[in-house]
Amino acid sequence: MSTRIHFENVVQRYRVIRERPDSLREAFTKVFRHNSGVRDFLALTGISFAVQDGEILGLIGRNGSGKSTALKLIAGVFEPTSGKVEIVGKVAPMIELGAGFHPDLTGRENIVINGLILGFSREEIMAKEQAIIDFAGLGEFIDSPVKQYSSGMFMRLAFSIATEIDPEILLIDEILSVGDAEFQEKCEARIRDFRRRGKTIVFVSHSSASVRAICDRVILLDHGKILADGSPNQVIERYENLVHQPA
Amino acid sequence: MWQLFQEIHKNRELIWALALKELRVRYKRSALGFIWALLNPLMMMVILTVVFSTIMRFAVDHYAIFLISALLPWTFFSQALSYSVESIVMNAELLKKIRVAKSIFPLAALVANMINFLLSLLPLLLILVFLRFPFHWTWIYLPIPLISLFFFTAGCAFFFAAANVFFRDVSHIVQIVLSGWFYLSPVLYSIDFLPQKYRLLLRFNPMLYILNGFRMAIYYGHLPTLQNMAASLSLGAITLLLGYSVFRRFERTFVFYV
Repeated sequence: MSTRIHFENVVQRYRVIRERPDSLREAFTKVFRHNSGVRDFLALTGISFAVQDGEILGLIGRNGSGKSTALKLIAGVFEPTSGKVEIVGKVAPMIELGAGFHPDLTGRENIVINGLILGFSREEIMAKEQAIIDFAGLGEFIDSPVKQYSSGMFMRLAFSIATEIDPEILLIDEILSVGDAEFQEKCEARIRDFRRRGKTIVFVSHSSASVRAICDRVILLDHGKILADGSPNQVIERYENLVHQPA
Repeated sequence: MWQLFQEIHKNRELIWALALKELRVRYKRSALGFIWALLNPLMMMVILTVVFSTIMRFAVDHYAIFLISALLPWTFFSQALSYSVESIVMNAELLKKIRVAKSIFPLAALVANMINFLLSLLPLLLILVFLRFPFHWTWIYLPIPLISLFFFTAGCAFFFAAANVFFRDVSHIVQIVLSGWFYLSPVLYSIDFLPQKYRLLLRFNPMLYILNGFRMAIYYGHLPTLQNMAASLSLGAITLLLGYSVFRRFERTFVFYV
């Protein structure tokens, strides 16, 4: 067993977006206003954890708890304000419509662009193209523009690319809930297969049921802190108490 | 600068794929598809030729060719810049999800427009043949102004694409600057048409040296002076260096502002 993801005392601070000058006009007017009103927001307040290979980690928490920030740090979208994030191996986030997919291009064309964006070479992608198409099960729709896809079809293609391309770390943000029951089963089987081959998965979700079904370990975040870290049943119970307690 | 070339080399397949994507999307769903990349400049040149050889006549021999030889590179410059200024902001969703080299987005816009530009040289050949205009050996000199043009445009693109992340006004300002810049560049005229006192002003315009290179090679058929070549290449390289340094300095924070 070796460590794939290591967070050490990670702090992430954001500028509150609303207060930032969006145009030159605001930048100018700001000069004349003394109280510029820039406020900082702490999304993560010094969290530490490690994930090993073969582990499926669920991240749960209320809105604004820091789940997505943690996911972005794992993806390497930005560096932490302070602390250390260490990642070993290739990371593949599941890509949403509007991000890496172009609506006017066909599914097949999008597979190539997506794979390249995820950091794989054209050769590697072409070798896996057929497997990706087969697993997504889109039939002849694979040669239609992606904008004609239903959200379920789209999700199947995204999941198929992200898993077939075989990264060491797979990041899944919520979207698994879109597919039908049959595809959900296929996904769960594939996720188990991932674990067997010593890969790491980080899964962010609000659905207690799917977290319980998939994860070996769950971390509960609240206000940028780790409230609980342990087996799914324990942590999910804690989460449900948190959600249902009066604010 | 070295990092830029490393980044380009590492991401060459992705840049190429994104550039082709941009072109494919531009011509998608049109019956003629990619043919438009040839037909569009051809029609424009035919119109210019008809207008300037029959309706409006200037003292310049073959004014249409004179004009087109500088208009094509100018069109590349202005279109590539307009596309690339928006390129970072347009890919915001992607930047927020995945770690990618930010430079690929302006570069892909540049490459897409470069392909368009190079394709437009084919209809130019057709027009030259049709007009029995001499085909000068100096065409082999074209790579020099081409490289200068590409470097210069890339430098501007990096700078404005980065600035546009922080101030969205930049993309509007660029449009205005481009339309003014067009008249301050020797496209419709050449520098020796101007009264002496304005020539000095024009010498500060980097596009002068680059456009001159194209016009010399295609229209006049003789080589530009060594100073002109050196000026266009070094202005291109310096602009790229400056533009990319600004881009690199701020690229880490793009994700928080897009």
